[in-house]
Amino acid sequence: MKLKKYLALTRAGIIEALQFRLGSFVIVVGNLLYLIVVYFLWKAIYASAGTDVVNGMTFSDTLIYLALATALFNFMEMYAVWEIGRAIQSGKIVLDLLKPMKYRTYLFWSYSGSFVTNFFMTFLPTFIVVAAVTHGAVHLGLNLLWFVVSVVMAIIINYSIDFIVGTVCLYTESIWGINIMKQVIVLLLSGATIPLAFFPEGFRRAVECLPFQSIYNAPLSILLDAHPEPKKLTMTLGIQLLWCVVMTVISKLFWKVSLRRITVNGG
Amino acid sequence: MKRKGLGFYLRIYGKILAQDIKSKMSYRADFIISTIGMIFTNISGFISFWILFRSFPGINGWGYYEMLFLYGFSLVALTPVQCLFDNNWSLRMNVYSGDFIKYCFRPINLFFYYQSEVFDIKGLGQLAFGLGTLIYSWTKIGLGFTPLILLKMIVFLITASLVMVAMQNAAAATCFWIQNSFYILDLVTRFKDYAKYPITIFSPVFRFIFTFLMPIAFIAYYPSLVVLRPDSVPLLSWLSPLIAVGFFWLSYKFWMHGAMKYNGTGS
Amino acid sequence: MSAIIEIRNVTKEFRVLNRREGLRGSIKDLFSRDYKTVRAVDNISMSIQQGEIVGYLGPNGAGKSTTIKMMTGVLEPTSGEILIGGNVPYTNRTRNAQEIGVVFGQRSQLWWALPLIESFRLLKDIYMIGDKQYDSMLELYRSLVDIEPLLHKPVRQMSLGQRTLSDILAAFLHDPKIVFLDEPTIGLDVSMKAKIRTLISALNKEKNTTVILTTHDMGDVDALCQRIVIIDKGKMLYDNDIEHLKGFFGSYRTLKLRIDGDMKASAESIQKELPEFSVSADDEWISVLVDEEKAKVIDVLGKLQSSYRIKDMQLEEISTEEVIKKIYEEGVA
Repeated sequence: MKLKKYLALTRAGIIEALQFRLGSFVIVVGNLLYLIVVYFLWKAIYASAGTDVVNGMTFSDTLIYLALATALFNFMEMYAVWEIGRAIQSGKIVLDLLKPMKYRTYLFWSYSGSFVTNFFMTFLPTFIVVAAVTHGAVHLGLNLLWFVVSVVMAIIINYSIDFIVGTVCLYTESIWGINIMKQVIVLLLSGATIPLAFFPEGFRRAVECLPFQSIYNAPLSILLDAHPEPKKLTMTLGIQLLWCVVMTVISKLFWKVSLRRITVNGG
Repeated sequence: MKRKGLGFYLRIYGKILAQDIKSKMSYRADFIISTIGMIFTNISGFISFWILFRSFPGINGWGYYEMLFLYGFSLVALTPVQCLFDNNWSLRMNVYSGDFIKYCFRPINLFFYYQSEVFDIKGLGQLAFGLGTLIYSWTKIGLGFTPLILLKMIVFLITASLVMVAMQNAAAATCFWIQNSFYILDLVTRFKDYAKYPITIFSPVFRFIFTFLMPIAFIAYYPSLVVLRPDSVPLLSWLSPLIAVGFFWLSYKFWMHGAMKYNGTGS
Repeated sequence: MSAIIEIRNVTKEFRVLNRREGLRGSIKDLFSRDYKTVRAVDNISMSIQQGEIVGYLGPNGAGKSTTIKMMTGVLEPTSGEILIGGNVPYTNRTRNAQEIGVVFGQRSQLWWALPLIESFRLLKDIYMIGDKQYDSMLELYRSLVDIEPLLHKPVRQMSLGQRTLSDILAAFLHDPKIVFLDEPTIGLDVSMKAKIRTLISALNKEKNTTVILTTHDMGDVDALCQRIVIIDKGKMLYDNDIEHLKGFFGSYRTLKLRIDGDMKASAESIQKELPEFSVSADDEWISVLVDEEKAKVIDVLGKLQSSYRIKDMQLEEISTEEVIKKIYEEGVA
């Protein structure tokens, strides 16, 4: 069965992730620390603003948004650029290409194990804590379903971006430089560090036309909106779907073209 | 045998540095891309800062330019850790592969020899960025300029640097004991992102934690007070150079202890 | 004259983690870990004089690297005493490092991106080598190998052989009393191996440097070592001259025969005829390992000649490789 060989990769990923128990512990501490800093920072910001609502978001909205953005980040970040880059530099890529699976697919499913562990180890606890602490500020209804759909698309978009950037490593040795640029752009322009609502008007308009906001801003705004207008919801999911298709196609094409270049040149 | 004093080490460092820079030039593309990546990081940090604080006159009694000063101060203070101690990031890989052993056969200080191997020249871009921010906010606040202020500035920038270096050393050295120390190093590196906020925004409990347990407040806050708020300098600020030196010494001992304990598994 | 290396009753133990298997195992590992103690080196003693070349042999995982790490001051022995030129290496690591040179496995200790000559210059400063000594050493190198093409080549662009050669030259540069060479010829072609053996031998003679050589290549041992030390499972099996070792098995000779007809079948019937000796066959030769204490080779030959048509024959001494294999398998009688 086809799914079975994918699930074998998932299982191997889970075992590997668990062996690093300290890694998981440190991630939890790191997130906690970040949330503490975020909490006090925004508290100070709201205090100095003098109003309860800034840019259409209350303090607890902002906090939930940022807490879940971090959880999402830990859940989705796969360091695929590093993986691809190292495989290319060490020549291991040749072995990976020989596997009876497309490299893009192989890499994705290799990571699926860490998706599962990270979902239970970081995202779910964070979500429960946030939901409990804010006393029902997170609406638990149909929005959860749309959120899950949206996250799945976010993962695909994020992976496609990673894969495109990873493919660039076929052309340059500078993995570090390439990766840091990608990370900085994605984190800032996706609204992972500051909600897009706080961006200055013109800047925000521009950012909304880019694929990045579909990774963090889209799923989180769906989750936080208890009673969404159907039109707005369809719009958000539609844009995500569009980016999903576009980025997947681009990443596949780019990989194909680049690989041909490499095999021809015997890179 | 002749004694190997400070002069000896400085001379050796100078020579290794010159050679390293020469050889870096042979990877020009990598150098350029990494530098661009570094500039991206700084610009993005700056944009985040601007988005957050542009619309507020001040936070928790801290004016916009004072916040900017802290920000610039932390950037400058982080330059040494970026430029001089970057090889800490490779320590884990060296230990894991067994390559670390090759550093142990030289008749000079192991820590010095290891760190001297890499000089990360792109950290200088950050230095320029930080200095620009610092000078800009300096003139906006109107701190004045006397030799004494300059001296204080230098002493306390070194103080802040030592604290960050010490934290990174300690974090990197954990790889001598545990397998996946990357997360610890990553966590400690994130500390520096929190260093740029005044500690007064936190509640007393966390003020205590960030001062004594995770000394984030010593990376920018306490040392910069000496210049920024000369009328009310807390005792901890004056003590911070001593604390920094002590902390650095401890981290060095910890690093060396780990290296000596390291028993080169395999081979 | 006192020994340059003095090792007395040295033992080294490691604690290693037992990892459990499978998904359930790794979940258990999250909560508890158990360790076991492994004795990598078990009560080893030896004493080595200035200028000796000692072959330090043993199968993989025998404890060779561990012993060398202890001699270089990287590891502290669990018990026992090591003196290198009168120093305890572990407590005086940097002082010890001045007196030794190391080429460790395939890990180049040279600066990867630098041309060899720049690495040499850095080493000159690090080891505080005087100008005169440095120049005369380079002069010596020039007379031994063709280093000019290597000097201006970055290490990362060198072939494995060139890199090994460079690493060996770098290890001798500060005229150390002892040089440790770990598998110096592994992965090299025949001519490069010969080149490296000649170089080591010449440097040893010229500078009277003690050389400790670990290798799996018996060619290295035959070409370089007067003395060999064999360890297995952390225990010392043998420490003496290589000739002496052969003396143990000196009564063994290999009689090689070429016979008309099917070699394999003949070998089987010869084995039946001579049950006390081991007989083997390949495409060219039938080999009989004769113990001369039991029967004279000439008698064996006479006996076989009566029943087989022998076209060709050879008589060989037992090779070092066979001797060592016998020691691993049976120990020293």
